[in-house]
This record gives sequence, C-alpha cells and structure tokens, in this order.
Amino acid sequence: MTNRLLGAGVALALAVGVAACGSSSSDSASGGGSSGSPLVGAGSTLVAPLMSKWQSDYASKSEETVTYGAIGSGGGIEQITNRTVDFGASDAPLTEEQFEEAGNVEQIPWALSGTVPAYHLDGGPKKLKVDGEILGGIYLGTITQWDDPVIAQLNPGASLPSTKITPVYRSDGSGDTFAFTDYLSSVYPEFKAQVGTSTQVKFPTGVGAEKNDGVAAAISQTDGAIGYVGLAYALSNDLSMPLVENLAAGFPEPGVKSVEAAADAVTEIGPNNEISLVNPPASAKDAYPISTYTYVIVPLDSEKAEALKRFVTYAIGPGQEYGPDLDFAPLPKQVVAADKKAIAKIGG
Amino acid sequence: MTEHALLLDHGNLKRRNRFNRVVEASATVAAFLAVAVLVIVVGSVFLRGIGALSWHFLTTPTALFGESGGGISNAIVGTSMIVGIAALMAIPVGILVAIYTTEFAPGRVAHSIGFVLDVLNGVPTIITGIFVYGLLVAGHKQSGFAGAIALAIVMLPIVARTSQEVLTLVPGTLKEASHALGIARWRTVTWVTIPTAAGGLVTGALLGVARVAGETAPLLLVSSIFAPGLLTEPGEALASIPIFIFQASESPRPEAHTEAWAAALVLIAIVLLLNVVARAFYARSRKRMGA
Amino acid sequence: MEAGALENPVLRARRNRADRIGDPLLRGLSGLAAAIAVLAIAGIVYEVVREAWPAISEFGVGFVTTNDWNPVTKHFGAAPFLYGTVVTSAIALLLATPISLAISVYLTELAPARIRRPVATLIDLLAAIPTVILGLWGILVLGPVMRETVEPALQSVLGFLPIFGGDPSAFGYLTAALILTIMAIPIITSVTREVFETVPGDLKEASYALGATRWEMVRQVVLPYSRAGIVGATILGLGRAIGEAIAVAQVIGGATGIDVSLFHTGGTLAAQIASQFAGTPSELQRASLVYLGLILLAFAVIVNVIARVIVARGRLKDTFATPTEAEAL
Repeated sequence: MTNRLLGAGVALALAVGVAACGSSSSDSASGGGSSGSPLVGAGSTLVAPLMSKWQSDYASKSEETVTYGAIGSGGGIEQITNRTVDFGASDAPLTEEQFEEAGNVEQIPWALSGTVPAYHLDGGPKKLKVDGEILGGIYLGTITQWDDPVIAQLNPGASLPSTKITPVYRSDGSGDTFAFTDYLSSVYPEFKAQVGTSTQVKFPTGVGAEKNDGVAAAISQTDGAIGYVGLAYALSNDLSMPLVENLAAGFPEPGVKSVEAAADAVTEIGPNNEISLVNPPASAKDAYPISTYTYVIVPLDSEKAEALKRFVTYAIGPGQEYGPDLDFAPLPKQVVAADKKAIAKIGG
Repeated sequence: MTEHALLLDHGNLKRRNRFNRVVEASATVAAFLAVAVLVIVVGSVFLRGIGALSWHFLTTPTALFGESGGGISNAIVGTSMIVGIAALMAIPVGILVAIYTTEFAPGRVAHSIGFVLDVLNGVPTIITGIFVYGLLVAGHKQSGFAGAIALAIVMLPIVARTSQEVLTLVPGTLKEASHALGIARWRTVTWVTIPTAAGGLVTGALLGVARVAGETAPLLLVSSIFAPGLLTEPGEALASIPIFIFQASESPRPEAHTEAWAAALVLIAIVLLLNVVARAFYARSRKRMGA
Repeated sequence: MEAGALENPVLRARRNRADRIGDPLLRGLSGLAAAIAVLAIAGIVYEVVREAWPAISEFGVGFVTTNDWNPVTKHFGAAPFLYGTVVTSAIALLLATPISLAISVYLTELAPARIRRPVATLIDLLAAIPTVILGLWGILVLGPVMRETVEPALQSVLGFLPIFGGDPSAFGYLTAALILTIMAIPIITSVTREVFETVPGDLKEASYALGATRWEMVRQVVLPYSRAGIVGATILGLGRAIGEAIAVAQVIGGATGIDVSLFHTGGTLAAQIASQFAGTPSELQRASLVYLGLILLAFAVIVNVIARVIVARGRLKDTFATPTEAEAL
C-alpha cells in the first residue's frame, strides 16, 4: 500500500518537474528579444520572388533575418489573425469581417504587380486576345474548346486547334484568385452571379492547384490548359500570356509598364489603404486590367514593432529598386506617402 | 467435402492440374509484381536523383526563390534535430509503457493500455498535426519542437508495442531466478529483463525512427514556414527533408524536381538502412532468447 | 512477488534504501508513461472536437451529407470528401486484396525456402517508403503514364461505363487509388502471411492426401481457416488508406465536388485538410476543415479497432487448434 502511494507521489513530482522545465526552456527560447529571433511572415505567393530578394538584401544591410513562408494570401491572413507569425502578406485586402477577426492591424500596400492569365496550347497562336466574356465562359465551363467561335471572333485569322480547354485555378486561399475573380465579376455578370469574388471560390469546373507554383506547373504540363498566375511566375516560367481587353478596348502587353499605367490611373486610396486596380477607367488606354497591389498586414501592438517598422520602411523604400527586374512596378508617390503615415502608427 | 468424391475421376485431373498451374503462376507473378513496383519506385528515385546528389548538395542550404544551386543541408539538420528530439521523448516513454504493462499492470489494465496504443497507432498523422497545432502553435508560432512532439506521438505506439512483444518473450525462468535470489523488482527489470531484451528494444526504437523520419503531414502544419539558411534552434520552425520534397514536388521548375528526387534518395537511403538494421537486431534478439 | 524472498531474514536485510525507492520509482515512472499514452489520445480527441466546434454548431450532423464547399457563401459539407475517401479506398482495396492474397500464398506455399525471406523482406520494405516519395513518384512518373496510356486505354475498352468517362487526367481519383494500393499491399500481405502460417500442417496434409491440387488445398483449407485474419488484414489496409493525407493530396487534384468519372479530380478528407489547413479565408471554414478531421478520426479509429478485434479473434482460434509447426522465420 505504501509502495503504491510512494510510487504515485514520485510520478507526480516528476510530472511537475518536467512541466516546469518545459515552460522555462520555452521562455528562454522566445525571450531572445527582437535581435536574434527572426521576423516571421507568411502569405502571398505573388510577392514571394520580390520578398526573397528583400530577405537576402535586408539581411546583408541590417543583419536582421526575415523568415517568409509563401503559403498563399489566404494563409497569410489566417496566420496573422492567429498571431502565429509577425506579419502577413496578402494581395487581397482584408474584408471587414477579416479586419474584425484580426484585431488591431494595419494594412500597407508594399508592392505592385498583376495577375495574368497564362496558357499552354500546342500548335496555337503565340498571341491570343481574350476578354471578360471568354475568360468568364472558360471558367464557367460554357466555352470548352480552343476553337470556340467566341474565341475565334476576337482573334480573326488565328489558327486555333480544337484542343479541349482545361481551366486551372488556385485551390488554396489566394490573392491572385481575388484579383482574377474581381476582374471577371466586374466584366461578366454571369460569373459574378455564379461564382463571386473572394480569395477562394467554388469554380464549377477545372483543375485545382496550390500556390502560384502549382498552377504554373499544371499549365506547363497540360496541353490546352489555361490558368492565372502572378506576373513574375508567367514570365519566369516562360508561359504564354494572352492579351486581356481593358475598359479602353485596348489589349496592353502584360508587364511592368501596363501595370504602372493602371496604378497611375487610380489615385484613390481607401480608408484601410486598400486600392483596387481591377479594370481601371477607360482613360488609361494602356493599363493592364488585372493589376493588383499586394499588402503587408502588421499588428499595431506587436512586441516586434520596431523591427517591423524597419523592415516595412525598407521594403517601400530601397527594396523597391529590385522590383522591375522581378516584374514589379514601383509604388506611386502618393501610395508611398500614405504608407509612411501608416508605418508611423505601428507600435504607437 | 463433396468435391472429394470427384477426386477419383481422372478425366478431371488434367484440367484441375492446369488450373492449378495457372493459379500458381498468377501468385508468383503477383509477388514479383510487388517486388517490381518497389524496384521501379526506388529505381526512379535513384536514377532521377543521383545526378543532383553531390557533396555540395548535401552541405548547402536551400537556395532562395528562383535561384538555383541550393541544397538540403538545412533540411538534413532539421530532420535530424526534430527526429532526434522526438526519439529522446518517445523511446524512453515507449519502453516504460511496455514495462508497465508487462511487469506492473493487472491484466485488464494492461489490455486497456494495449487498446489505447492501438488506437493511437491508427490516428491519421494529419490529425496528430492538428492536435499539436492547436496545442503549441496557435497563438504562438511554428517550431521544430512542436514537430518533435507530433512525431513523438506517432512513434510512441510503435516503440511501445514492439517493446511489449519483446519483453514478454524474455524467459520467465530468468526473472524467477532473480526473484528467488531476493533481488528487488526494479533491479531485475533494469539488470536482467532489459539487457536480455535489448536487441528487440533497439528494433522497436529503430522502426519508430524509420517511420517518423519520413513523416510529412504533421510537419506541414507545425514546421513549414522557416527562415533561409542553416537553422539549429528548435524553438523556431526548422526545415525538414519530407517538407522539402513535398514543396519541391509541386514546383513547376524541372530543377526543383531533380532536387526533389535527390532528397528522396537521401531519405530512402536513411529509412531503408534503419529498417535493415532494425531487422538484424530483431533476428539477433530472437536467437538470444532461444525463440 | 518478492514475498517468498522477504521471509528469509538474511535476504530481507539486503533490501537497502535503493530498493525501497527503486521499486516505487519504476512503478511510478512506467505508470506515468502509460498515463501519457492515454492522455495523448484523450487530448487529440478533445482538441479536434474543440477546434471543430464552430462548424459543428453551425452545420450540425447534416454536414456529413452536404455536398457543397463554397468559401464565398460559407456553406460547407463533407460529402465530396467522404465520397473521395470511400472511392479511392474502395478501389485500392479491390486491387490490393487479391494481389496481397496471391503474394501471401506464394510466400507460404510456393516460394523455395531460400528466396522466401528476401522476397518477404522486400515487400515489407515497400511499406517503409515514406508516402511523400510515393506522392512525388505519382506526380512525376505515374501521373503522366495514367494520362497518356492507362486512362485512354481504359476508356477505349470500357468507355461506355460512366466511371471511365470524362477526360484522361494525370491527377484524379484513379491515380490516387493506385498510390493507395501500393501502400496497402504490404500491410495486407504481412498480416495474411502471418495468418496463413498458423494454418495447422495436418489440415493441409490431409487435403493433399485426398488428392487436392495445391490451389484446391489453399481454397479448401487455408482460405476458410484464415477468413477472420484476411478480413482483419483488409480492414487494416483500409485504415491506412483512409488516413493518408500527403501522397493523396499530391495526386488527387484538389477539387471540391463529386464526380462519377474516376479520371476526374477530387478530394479526400485527409488530403483536403493537408492542402487547406495553412490558410482559410474565414474561421468557419477552418473549423469546417477540422470537422472533416473529426469525421476522419472517428472513421479511422473505428476501422482500426474493428480490424484488430477481428484479427485477435482469429488468433484466438489457434490456441485451441492442433500444435503448428515452427514458423520458418
């Protein structure tokens, strides 16, 4: 009997000891302070190429490490809401509901690029024109073959094979999906009614892939596939990009210049620093219609406020010079000014 | 049973024999089909990965986005640390559970604990990941340590069950002789039972490690966002070989695919080696106990 | 226990302080370890229910049969993934069970003693391949083969069946099912082989004595005798198949609907969680994902328990059967 009591007592003491050890060691691990433990961020894959450059450049300039997980804008919003990371990155601005759930955060546009359709069509034309009706029809499943009359009508003279169209979409929470569906909803009412705009939608047909990488892979591996990816991914993977019609009935070449034209045409900045570049007004003749800002989401009351301020200031300042090589347009002046005001609020 | 009455009907015999040969051939084909699949898969990994395998590859961390020339040194270190910490937790606990059920627990309790272990073994590892995420990551951050806890939970039933089997096989005569000499229980267990069963215990430990070295699902949830470069702090998220393979497999770049194959080759080599060694220990331990 | 020894005054004197602490210490430590195991499973169940609760209270039990997964309208249901799980696992078992039985028959009855062990070991090693590598192989090797060769062939021969309709695709239910088959075969094989080896030699010899061919003997003696074990093994394989998240996520295509064609992309409970857990646009969606996990957990635990009960009961039969020959390990 005493044997058993003794045994239980020893077990209890050990349990308490282990628990105490565990908590004190985790304290020392996280109590390392702002220098030493890296700034951790997660989110948008669109900004990942530029972020990667920022990580290495910032580390050499300031000796501070930034960790980034490109898990998709949806993931970025989720992780920063749960404060499992120090900052989130999303191409889609937070909805009101998401702002509520995220608590005390600031949303700051820190890079500018675009979401582009990309396709793979063996024996097809290198330059293809598309508009909202065509893209919408493809993603709703009403246009199923590349030689569909609607496509032929916009591309007279092009030889279109009868290959089946495989629409590829992002299955994870994606800022690119947001920009793309935003565009489709605004130019093709059918699409808005059936699918809607969000970082993650239910597409009636097609193949899902994860992250920009996954979509790019699916497009390159499937003849007849069309998908939407961040501009940098289409260019670095050498994917064919169709010319998308804008509100001025023009078909601008997707690239830094047409994205810049879109940004110059839209000067209004929303109350939470959100700026929609989808379908800029017809006065911008060369604007690319599916351009998008990408935002960093920073808690205002983080322990790492100073480090965050430093990094975001770097990103909208010296960091921007790496943009054009990686297919990002420079931030317009008024956006940088608004950003600086927002940064001042961090940790304040 | 009525079929046997037909056995004297020799007209039937040729057909039955022919049918029998067909079945035997199919069974043989099936067995070698399975072996063939193994050879094909391991062969693919070897042929496609060996080209990228180099000292540079093994000693350089993963390259940044879009750049090439990286390697898997951070993944190797990360996996070693995560699996190492997991083993440090799961192996002692697993062996202790086995000791409890074979030495101390009354029959019904031992049976229930065995049941619990079986249930734990059947939990899909993605669920274990959800558990550790909710426990340690939500509200804090990802960490290699959280990954280790998840892997320890996956390892525990394997180590415990194998240890149980082996401890039961220790000849009762040895234990009885020890008691007859007045030696206390704990000394018997520590100095007689465990050393006798040592080979089998090592087997259980190695099989557990082999199993979790390749586990991806829990790490995907608790240790997948990590800094570039070589990391050695388990309080932060660490790279790992399975996560590297998973992420590289979904990339559009052919170089990433080659790197994935090479990393897979490293992982398969580790896992197969552990398995082979575990089996060798098991065979030796059975011989030792005269089974 | 030590009662007999303690009655001897000489030996009792030998019990020093170390022994007085040692025994309870060992008992306490090992009991604590056992408690940890119990705590782990209890913790897992609790945590999963807790995280899924917002979805459980929102959708109730109807979630299980709802065929929708719409992040915009925030309407979620498990039906597409239950369908995918059932279809891929069923096909995997349909293919794996006969193959595994054939392999076990080969290993226990046909193989020359010398190659028995190496072949058995090789097949066991198939189980040791990490699933992420099988998934990698599935994406880069099997997938293209399915799309270019296997699925068009199936369609040209059996295309009138709706399950072979639709367009051949590298990713989909069929590719995932094949990967699961590869995973299930070693498990089913190892258990059935064990069971086959316990069949009493005299029963087999009696059958031969009556003039049966080897196949007839297997069919009349080995298979009926091992029925419980075979069922148990198959269900164990099922448990493995439904729980696989990573390899399936890599090759099933991530769709959120139900489609009758096996070539079509789809999703399973485990794969959906793996691909979506990192980021969901709303908390309700995340809770719905964990709700999927709860269904998966319940499914997996029940299947596993049933399997072990059946296998254990099959083994129990042995203790009352005639003594068997020593197994040739």
